[in-house]
Amino acid sequence: MSLLRTIAGGLRSLFRKEQAGRELDEELRGFLEAATEEKMKQGMSRDEAARAVRLERGGLDATREMVRDAGWETLVENLWQDLRFGVRTLRKSPGFTAVAVLMLALGIGATTAIFSIVEGVLLRPLPFPDPDRLVILGDVLEGSHCASCADSSVTAPDIRNYMRDTQSFSHLGGYRGRLFELSGTGDPAAVNATRMSGEVFAALGVPPLLGRTFTQHEDEEQQQVAVLSYGMWRSRFHGDANVLGSKILLYRKPYTVIGVMPRDFEFPLNPGHVNQSELWLPLSLRPEEFTAGSAASWNSRMVGRLKPGITAEQAQSDAERVARETMRDYPAYMRSLRIHAVVTPLQEDTVEQARPLVRTLLFAVIVVLLIACANLAGLLLVRAIRRRREIAVRLALGARAATLLRLAIVESMVLSIAGGAIGLALAALAVRVGVSLLPETLPRVNEIGLDWPVMLFALGLALLTGFLCGLAPAFAAIRTNVNESLKEGGRAGTSGSGHGRLRSALVVAEIAVALTLLTASGLLLRSFQRMRDVKLGFRPDNTLAALYVLPQQRYRTQSAIDEFLKALLNDLGQLPGVDAVGITSFLPAAGNNWSIPFTIEGYVSPKGAELNMAAMSLVESDPFEALCIRVLRGRVFAESDNANSQLVAIVNRKMAERYWPGQDPIGKRLRRGLPETSTPWMTVVGEVDDVKLGSRDAETMPQVYQPVTQTLASEGVFASVGELSATDGWIVLRSRMAPEQMEDTLRATVRKIDPQLPLYQMQTMEHAISKSEAPRRFNTVLISSFAIAAVLLSVLGIYAVIAFSVALREQEMAVRMALGCQRSGVILLILSSGARLAAVGCGLGLLGAVAASRLLRSFLFEVSPFDPGVLALSAIAMLLLAMAASALPARRASSTDLMLALRGE
Amino acid sequence: MADKSSDLVQGTLDMLILKTLALEPMHGYGVAVRIEQISRGVFRVNAGSLFVAFQRLKRAGLIRSEWRATENNRRAKYYVLMEQGRKKLSSETREWERQVAAIARILEAS
Repeated sequence: MSLLRTIAGGLRSLFRKEQAGRELDEELRGFLEAATEEKMKQGMSRDEAARAVRLERGGLDATREMVRDAGWETLVENLWQDLRFGVRTLRKSPGFTAVAVLMLALGIGATTAIFSIVEGVLLRPLPFPDPDRLVILGDVLEGSHCASCADSSVTAPDIRNYMRDTQSFSHLGGYRGRLFELSGTGDPAAVNATRMSGEVFAALGVPPLLGRTFTQHEDEEQQQVAVLSYGMWRSRFHGDANVLGSKILLYRKPYTVIGVMPRDFEFPLNPGHVNQSELWLPLSLRPEEFTAGSAASWNSRMVGRLKPGITAEQAQSDAERVARETMRDYPAYMRSLRIHAVVTPLQEDTVEQARPLVRTLLFAVIVVLLIACANLAGLLLVRAIRRRREIAVRLALGARAATLLRLAIVESMVLSIAGGAIGLALAALAVRVGVSLLPETLPRVNEIGLDWPVMLFALGLALLTGFLCGLAPAFAAIRTNVNESLKEGGRAGTSGSGHGRLRSALVVAEIAVALTLLTASGLLLRSFQRMRDVKLGFRPDNTLAALYVLPQQRYRTQSAIDEFLKALLNDLGQLPGVDAVGITSFLPAAGNNWSIPFTIEGYVSPKGAELNMAAMSLVESDPFEALCIRVLRGRVFAESDNANSQLVAIVNRKMAERYWPGQDPIGKRLRRGLPETSTPWMTVVGEVDDVKLGSRDAETMPQVYQPVTQTLASEGVFASVGELSATDGWIVLRSRMAPEQMEDTLRATVRKIDPQLPLYQMQTMEHAISKSEAPRRFNTVLISSFAIAAVLLSVLGIYAVIAFSVALREQEMAVRMALGCQRSGVILLILSSGARLAAVGCGLGLLGAVAASRLLRSFLFEVSPFDPGVLALSAIAMLLLAMAASALPARRASSTDLMLALRGE
Repeated sequence: MADKSSDLVQGTLDMLILKTLALEPMHGYGVAVRIEQISRGVFRVNAGSLFVAFQRLKRAGLIRSEWRATENNRRAKYYVLMEQGRKKLSSETREWERQVAAIARILEAS
C-alpha cells in the first residue's frame, strides 16, 4: 500500500517534474522567508537575517537537492542522464564503439546460439506431464559388450513379465522402432513407426489431437489400428480431419487410423531429426516372438511412469526381483545368461549421449566470450587512460567517485546491451541455419530455438558482461590521481601506471584461454586426420547400395523370396557396366552393431570373460567383390553353399586372431549361441579383411559372414516355426559408371520384378561413409571455428595493448633514439615486451589445455590429450601470432620522427 | 551549525512532526518553530531534514498537504494529519514510552 504510494508519488514527480519542482521551490522560499522575518524581528538587517538563516537552516539550493535526492525517482533520473551522456560520448568515437559492439555481438551471439542448443537438448523438461516420474526400464546383460548395450533394452518375454509382475509403476509398456512400407495413400514409402504397448500412451499422458490412442486391451487383441504423427497427418493426409477411420496399408496389411497426435508429441525421443516416429502401432507381440531366437533378442525398450511415492531405486529392486524370476524360467540354451534390471530416468536416458558434445560446445563458446570480454575491458581501460585528464578535471570539480563508477559502468553497459541486441539477431540467424547442420546424435533437435529462457539468458549475459567489463576502467577512473594527472599537463605520460599491469594481465588471460581452445581444436583435427587414415576394409568408390524389405503379405514362402532374389541378382548382373552385385544383411559404414554370441570349438573362455560376441552378416551372391573386401585366406561363398550342403562361414581377421591366434582359421568350426545351446557347427572356409561396420573411429568388431541360405539350418533351436530368411537386405552394386547414374537403373530393375516394392535409403557408399563421419566432422569444424575466433580476438587484444603502450611511450622511444639507441634496439624492446606477455600466456594456456583434457578425451581418436606435437605446435603458433601482433607497433615506434615526437611536448 | 536535529534518534523527527500536526494542520515553518518551542530550543530542525521527512510521511500516506493562506495572508503548503498518521502516532508513542522506560530502568540499575 505505502509502497504503491511511494511509487505513485515518485512517478508523479518524475513526470510532472516542472510542477513538483516549482511547488517545492515556493514552499522552501516561504519557509526561509518566514525564518528571515523572524530574525529581522529580533533586530537584524535583512541581509544579516538571510545569512543567519542560511547558516542555521541550510540554503535553498542545498535543501532542494536534499529533498530531491531522498526520492527514488532521482536515481532513475540520474541513470537516464548517465545513459544519455554515455551514448553521447560513445557517438563521439564511432570506431571504438563499432569495434566494441561487434566484438560483443559475436561473443554474445555465439554464446546465445549454443545456449539455445543446451537449453533445448539438456535443460528443457521432456514434453510430457510430470516428466520426472517417467523412467526407462531395461536389462543389462552381463558380459555382453556392444555399443547398443549402452541403452538398456529388453526382450519380448521381458516385456510380458515386467508388465505383469512389477508393482512400482502406474503404467509400464514396451516399444520397438521399425521401418514399415506404407501404401494405400500416395506413393509407397518407407516410414519410421513404433510398435508399442497401449500402456505407453497412458504412461506418457499426452492426449491425442484428434480421435484417440489405442488401449492395452486393443494391443493384446492384436487390433490393426494406427495413430498418426502430426507431420504425417499434414503431409500425407493434408491435415484432413476425416482421416479417422480410414485405412492405410503397412507391408500391405490394412490398419485403421484412430487418432492423430499433437504437433510437439515425439516418442521415442530419438537422437536426430530424421528418425522420428511417424506412426504408432500396437506392439501386439506374436506367439513366435516368445520362442527361440526372438526370446533372446534384446531389441525392445520399456518406458513407465512411477507410482506416486515410489522412487526409481525402489522400482529397480522391484524389477530386479522380476528379472530373477525371468532368469529362472530361461530355456536351456539361455541358462548361462545373467541379466540385471536397471531403471533410469527418461530425461537422463535421453540426454546421456549428447551431454559431452553440448558441454564441450558450451565450454568453447564461453572461452570465446571471455576473450571478447577481456578485449572490451582492455579497450575501455585504454579509453579510461586517454580520458585521464577529463576524469581528473571532473574529480577536481567535485564529482563523487560513486558517480564516476556509475558513469563508467553505464557506458560499458550501453555497449554490451547494443552488442547483446545484435548478438541475439545473429543467434537467431545461426540457430535457423545451424539446426539443420547439427549431428544426429542430439535428441530433440526440433525443440531448439530462441524462446524466452534463451532471450533472458542473452539479456542477462549482456548485462553481466557490461558490468564486469565496466569494472576495470571504472576502478581505473576512480583511482586517478587528480594532482598527478593535472600536473602532467598535456603530456600523455609514460606507461608506468598501475593500469599497465591490469592490461597485461588481461592479455595474458586472453592468450591463455585462446591457446587452450587452439590446442583442443588441434587435437580434434589430429583425431580427424587419424580417423581418415583408418582403413575401411572395403572400397567405397563406384558403389551404390539400397535396402529392400519384402512384405510378408506377398512373400509368404521361402521359395517366393528366393525367386525374387534370384531374378534380381540375375537382372542386375546383366546390366551394362555392372562389375559385381551382392546382397548383405548389414551394410558397412551404415552403423550396424547387431552382434550375437558364438561358441568356438576348442576355445575355452577365461573365467569371468565377456561373451564371445561377433557381428553377423548374412550374404548372398558376392558382396565381397562388390565392396572389394580383400580375401586373405580360403575362398568366398559359392552357389553350392546352400541350405542342403555343409554349413560354412567366413570370418574377419580380428575374429581369426582372437580365437585362433597364429593358426590358419580355415577348417576351424564355430556355431551360433552359447555352449549349452544346441546349434550345428559351421566350418570356416575363408578369412577376409576387417571391415568398418560403423564409423571409422568405432572399434572393429569380430565379424562372421554366412550364406543367407544357410541361416535357418545354422540357427538350430533358435529358428522359429515358419521363419523366413532374406526378407530384407542391402543390395550392393559396383559399376564402371558413376554410382549416381545407376540409381534409376537399379530402381527400374526392381520395379520390373515387383512394381510395388520401394527401395529404401539408396546411397552411394561414399555418401554412407561421409554420413558416418559427420558427427566427428561437425565437432571438429565447430571447435576449430571457435578456436579461430578466439585466436583472432586475442591477437587483436595483444595488438591493441602493445600498440597503445607504444603510443604512450613514443616520447620515451624518441629520447632513447636521440641518446643513441639503434632502431633495432627499439624494435627488440617492444617485441620482447610482447613476447613476455605471450610466453606467460602460453604457459598458463598449456596448463589450461591439460585441465580441459578430461572434457575433451571422449572426442579424441587415437590421440592423447597431451599429444606433445599438438601442444607444442599450438603454443608456437600462438607465440608467433603474438609476436606478429607486436611487430607492427614495434616498426611504427622505430620509425618515429625524432624531431616531431620531441617537439610534441 | 546550530543544527541539533542530527542528535535526534533516527525516526524521532517523524514522530515529532506527527505529534505537532496532531494539534492542527500547519505549514513547514510552523512545524519547525513549534518543535523548537516545545523542546525549549533543544531541537533545531533544518529545512533539508524537515522537507525530506514531509515527503517521506506523505508517501507513506500518514499526512497530506494542501495550499492555504497563512495568518499574514501568504500562500503556504499546510500539512494535515491523516487517520493512518494518527494511528501511527499512537503506536509510535507507546513504543517510545516503552523504550524510554526500559532505558531508564537500565540506567537506574547500574
